[in-house]
Amino acid sequence: MIKNFFKVAFRNLLRNKGFSFINISGLAIGMASAVLIMLWIQNETSYDQFHEKKDRIYEAWNKAEFSGKLQCWNTTPKILARSMEKDIPEIERSVRVNWPSNFLFSIGDKRLTVKGNIVDTGFLQMFSFPLVKGDPKTALNDGSSIVLTQTLAKKIFGEEDAMGKIIKIDNKDNFTVTGIAKDLPNNTRFNFEYLIPWNYLVRTGGDDSSWGNNSTRTYALLKPGVSIDAANGKLKSIKYQYTKDNDDKKWEMFLYPASRWRLYSNFTNGKEDGGLIDFVKLFAVIALFILLIACINFMNLSTARSEKRAKEVGIRKVVGAQKQSLVSQFIGESVFLAFIAGIFAIIIVQLALPAFGELTDKKLFVDYTDYKFWIYAIGFVFFTGIMAGSYPAFFLSSFNPSKVLKGTFKSANALITPRKLLVVLQFTFAIILIICTTIVKQQIDHARDRESGYAKDNLVYHYLTGDLEKNYELVKDELLSSGIAKSVTKTSAPLTQGWSDSWGFNWEGKPADDKTDFDRYVADENLGATAGLTFIKGRDFDLKKFPTDSSAMIINESAAKVMNFKDPIGQIVKDDDRPYHIVGLIKDFILQSPYYPTKPMIIEGAKNGWFSVMHIKLNGANNTADNLKRMEVIFKKYNTEYPFDCKFVDLEYAAKFKTEERTGTLAAIFAALTIFISCLGLFGLATYMAENRIKEIGVRKVLGASVTGITTLLSKDFLKLVMISFVIASPVAWWMMHQWLQDYPYRVAIQWQVFAFAGLLTFFISLLTVSYQSIKAAIANPVKSLRTE
Amino acid sequence: MIKITDLEKYYRTEEVETIALNKLSIEVKEGEFVAVMGPSGCGKSTLLNILGLLDDPDGGSFVFNGIEVAGFNERKRADLRKKNIGFVFQSFNLIDELTVFENVELPLIYNNVKAADRKKRVEEVLDNLKIMHRRNHYPQQLSGGQQQRVAVARAVVNNPKLILADEPTGNLDSSNGNEVMQLLTELNEKGTTIVMVTHSEHDARYSHRIIRMLDGHSVTENILI
Ligand SMILES: Nc1ncnc2c1ncn2[C@@H]1O[C@H](COP(=O)(O)OP(=O)(O)O)[C@@H](O)[C@H]1O
Ligand SMILES: [Mg+2]
Repeated sequence: MIKNFFKVAFRNLLRNKGFSFINISGLAIGMASAVLIMLWIQNETSYDQFHEKKDRIYEAWNKAEFSGKLQCWNTTPKILARSMEKDIPEIERSVRVNWPSNFLFSIGDKRLTVKGNIVDTGFLQMFSFPLVKGDPKTALNDGSSIVLTQTLAKKIFGEEDAMGKIIKIDNKDNFTVTGIAKDLPNNTRFNFEYLIPWNYLVRTGGDDSSWGNNSTRTYALLKPGVSIDAANGKLKSIKYQYTKDNDDKKWEMFLYPASRWRLYSNFTNGKEDGGLIDFVKLFAVIALFILLIACINFMNLSTARSEKRAKEVGIRKVVGAQKQSLVSQFIGESVFLAFIAGIFAIIIVQLALPAFGELTDKKLFVDYTDYKFWIYAIGFVFFTGIMAGSYPAFFLSSFNPSKVLKGTFKSANALITPRKLLVVLQFTFAIILIICTTIVKQQIDHARDRESGYAKDNLVYHYLTGDLEKNYELVKDELLSSGIAKSVTKTSAPLTQGWSDSWGFNWEGKPADDKTDFDRYVADENLGATAGLTFIKGRDFDLKKFPTDSSAMIINESAAKVMNFKDPIGQIVKDDDRPYHIVGLIKDFILQSPYYPTKPMIIEGAKNGWFSVMHIKLNGANNTADNLKRMEVIFKKYNTEYPFDCKFVDLEYAAKFKTEERTGTLAAIFAALTIFISCLGLFGLATYMAENRIKEIGVRKVLGASVTGITTLLSKDFLKLVMISFVIASPVAWWMMHQWLQDYPYRVAIQWQVFAFAGLLTFFISLLTVSYQSIKAAIANPVKSLRTE
Repeated sequence: MIKITDLEKYYRTEEVETIALNKLSIEVKEGEFVAVMGPSGCGKSTLLNILGLLDDPDGGSFVFNGIEVAGFNERKRADLRKKNIGFVFQSFNLIDELTVFENVELPLIYNNVKAADRKKRVEEVLDNLKIMHRRNHYPQQLSGGQQQRVAVARAVVNNPKLILADEPTGNLDSSNGNEVMQLLTELNEKGTTIVMVTHSEHDARYSHRIIRMLDGHSVTENILI
């Protein structure tokens, strides 16, 4: 019986090549999109779930009140780990993970900077990062041992065995390789290429026992079977057992389980609030919808073709088929089709993975050797086949044989009600996506076009690594005298990032209850010239002319407004108790997010001393590549050990739009796919309708109908559906985008033109799709169509 | 074998209600060969569909093999049908995607006959009806007479007790038509009950008895033997 079904299914497939193509390609694209999204979801939901002890692993978090709001964060005092182990019996062991600024590795005359972690010795026993060489129990026991990942080991030592080799770190300390770890999987929060033991921090004076210095991550492994609530109860006020510190912040600590780190760790006012899980859910819905849209094509085309299949159904029933066996037959057929589509989907997925990986910023792959993948794949094919096939199966198998065999059965119109509903559903989704894509793009452009307030062109920066801080003046002089740079300024942070903010400023007339938070920035001199800031009043820092400028201050307009000075120049502002005198007032510039209003900002003079970056305004008269090459020579001269790594401010600024651009690109891709699949289905329906009405069209033409008249007649039913979709989609899209834009205080207004654009675009695409068939039917010679009987 | 009493069937469309069968009473005995005649639209096909359990009557009684079947649900009807009844249509109604062999095999499949037995049965029937050499052809590759022979083969392959034929010669020329009538007669002689709708007095003469219908009634019966 099954064989018989497949025979019919297969012959049907070959006989109706056009429809098989539409069905299979639509399903394949839908399935491929769903698979890609599921790969992403699978990756996101499996973060750090591979650790054998994952159910017992927790991370310590702080919770404290700032200006009336509970904040949660996961950097903790270094002293916490040992105190926790001592005071909380439920905790088996606690491990700290610190991240040094990128260390310089020297091996012979090879130099490279690598990112890694400084960890307590139990790290490799708590987390399942298997070693290919070395013993996880002892690898980090010695204070000068180091564990490398396979990739890093290979990068440094090539094919040689790295074990036992010596690596010099930061030109000071020698480390011996005691373990080679497998490269990290793509689903972990950790991101190290080497591990060195905590002891290194102790030796170099980087350890401390302050309860006020939140500077490391602390993980805890619970004993098997103990209650987390009991542990948390004891941890809650641990800070106050060791400090007299009675800040009225209600400072608490708690343990946060590994299962929630990745997806849920977004806290608002002390409670979990959304997080990545929202995206995971959204994308799951989108995956389901795209698949559904592809399935709708199958449903619509199968039921539209019912006239052809009706006879078969009738005959099968006459010779004794039960409805139920026909239902299984048709579902079997669609599963069969889904299976073929599934094969194409795998090919599409394979081809699209690199681009998709780039888009999602992940290394995603399909593990074809994993039997689980194949189980899921088969399950997915069945799911798709059943979803696509069930409605047609019940529709087709319910035909009454006495009617269909007599020939009174006619599905004259390809657009019966359920089919209309399905088409409307498809196009509603498509139009929503088009509107969303357009508005996301507008929002990005809106923020990008916003005046940043400084000149990003030819502006680069370099961290003050190694000897650069010491040799700063020499480097600066040489850059200026050689004509490479026009202006050089030492600052506390890159111009694209704010690293510091504070509400601890005092000025004359400050209201007692004022808690305004200022961005705090530090520069030595000529910041205005280097960054191209606009001065409204006063002047730039200039230490040559005014040596007292080391305690000078520049403020922005927003700050001046908050401070409420009539004339800010000459006023004194105290940072804690260090006084600064204001010499300049600048226009606001965007230090952090281009989506937020600029904050009040103060720039302190050199006296502050927090320098970690130098900004260089390159001489635009030279070729940039030349500038860089010559710069590198100078940097190498004064900072021999460290690599030259210069960053462009305009590129960093552009990176601020990355997340939104990704959202926009994804929305655009989904929109295009949805439109494409929906139109594929529409095309199929139009073809059937034209076929079914061929006689009617012939008669109308004989009676004098024009080609335009017939084209309109045939197209208008479809276009009506597109219009209904538009009416449904518009408010939904408006609401969704309204919600999305709430996250951006600096945002576009939603304009009606966007809706008009999406509506017209969809209308014309679908008009093109159906009119092809309609025109073809309309210009056919009626003699031919009427002769057939 | 068949006894219908006061059978009624209506067709309702939005505007009109048609009375297709109007208190029709007929009896057909086992082994009989009955012809049903009457003008177009008088309800012959409707009658056959009800006798064949493809349709349910709206009123009256229908006793098949001693069982009252009026009001049976689709499932029970299908079950009874596939074991007892074979159909032959004017327009052959073969499945285009299946070969001659596969078309004839179909009723056996739905009756859960084993593959080996199926092959034997189908070949036997095709042999009897002299279409064995066409077994791997598709319906479109056959002439009308051949197609109808395949349809007859399909109707008899399961050894049904009753064969219902709705104008089986309607689309055939006279020589092909006579061949089909010959086939039916032979089947009847082997004991199969046959009810056949026809417009042709010539074909009707092959039967034992002619029921003449008008407007959903039976008007006269001519007994030929
Ligand atoms: N599916 C149907 N819907 C509405 N009317 C029908 C249907 N089938 C048959 N009829 C009507 O019932 C009457 C009997 O039809 P039918 O049994 O096909 O007649 P015959 O086979 O004798 O030509 C006719 O008037 C016909 O129009
Ligand atoms: Mg008829």
